[in-house]
Amino acid sequence: MRVEFFLLIGALLFTIGCAGVLIRRNAIVILMCIELMLNAVNLTFVAFALENQSMTGHIFVFFVMTVAAAEAAIGLAIVIALFRRRRTTDVEDASLMRW
Amino acid sequence: MTIHLLLGLVLILFVFAAVRALAPSRALLAGTVLGIGALALLAVNYQALLSPEFWAGLIGFVAILSALMVVIHPNPMVSILFLIVNLFCIALFYLILRAEFLAVLQIIIYAGAIMVLFVFVVMLLNLKAEEGLRLGGGPQRWGALLLAVVFVLLMFHALHDRSDQPYVEPGAFESGFGSARALGGLLFSRYLVAFEAASLLLIAGMVGAVVVAKRKVG
Repeated sequence: MRVEFFLLIGALLFTIGCAGVLIRRNAIVILMCIELMLNAVNLTFVAFALENQSMTGHIFVFFVMTVAAAEAAIGLAIVIALFRRRRTTDVEDASLMRW
Repeated sequence: MTIHLLLGLVLILFVFAAVRALAPSRALLAGTVLGIGALALLAVNYQALLSPEFWAGLIGFVAILSALMVVIHPNPMVSILFLIVNLFCIALFYLILRAEFLAVLQIIIYAGAIMVLFVFVVMLLNLKAEEGLRLGGGPQRWGALLLAVVFVLLMFHALHDRSDQPYVEPGAFESGFGSARALGGLLFSRYLVAFEAASLLLIAGMVGAVVVAKRKVG
C-alpha cells in the first residue's frame, strides 16, 4: 500500500470539510467541518511520518489535537453565548461586523 | 482484483440508494437481493479479504462517505454521529500507518471528549434541522469553480509527481516507532517548551470557555 493513498484521502477529506465550512449556516456544523479539516491534515502528517521514518509528524498531530480541543471548547462557548443573545446558531444572523 | 471488488461493493451500495430514493416500497426486496449479491461477490474474491489494500480502500470509502454526510445532512445531531464514524475511520488509518498511540489518542480525545462536548451543546440548545444550504449565487460561484479546478489540478500534479517515491516496508522500522514511549520521550526532551506551552493553551481555553459561556450576573 502506498503513502499516496493516504495523501489522497487526506486531500479529499480536507476539501469536503472546506466545502462544509463554506456552505453550511449552522455554527456548530461549521465547527465540526473545521474538525474534519484538522483531521485530514493530521492524517497527512502521520502518512509523511511513516514515509520519512521520523516521529516529528506524530508530535505535530499531538499538538494539533490539543489546539483542536481548546478550539472546540471556545467555539462552542461562543455558540452558546450567541444562542443566549439571538436565539439562533445561524451565522447569517450574527452579521454585526459585516460590511 | 481488489479495486474491482471495492468498486463492485460501491456500485451495489449506490444501486440500493437509488432504489430507496426512487421506489421506497421495493427497498426491502432490493436490499435483500443486493446483499446476497455482495456476499456472492465477496465469496468469489475471498483472497482479497486478506489483503490490506481492500480494507484500507473500504475504510477510505466509509471515511469519505461519512464526511460527505456530515456536510450534507440537515440535522446537526446526525452530522455529529457521522463525524464520530469518520474519526474512527481515521483512527484505523493511524493504526495502518503504525501510529498506534495516536490512534488511541484519537479515539479518547476526539471521539471521547470533543464529540461528547458537541453532543451536549446540540442537545442543550435543542437544535432543529436547518432549512437549506448556503449555495450562494452571483459571480462568486464562477471564481469558486475556477479555484476548485486549479486546486484539483494542483493536487493531481503533486500526487502524480511523487509517485516514484519508494514505499517503506513496515518491517523496516525500529520496534518503538509510534509507541507511547517514543512519543513521550520526544515530548519531554526535544519539544518540552512546546509541551508546556500547550498546557498553558489548555488552561487559557478552559478559563475562556467558562467566561464566554457563563450567564451574566447582575
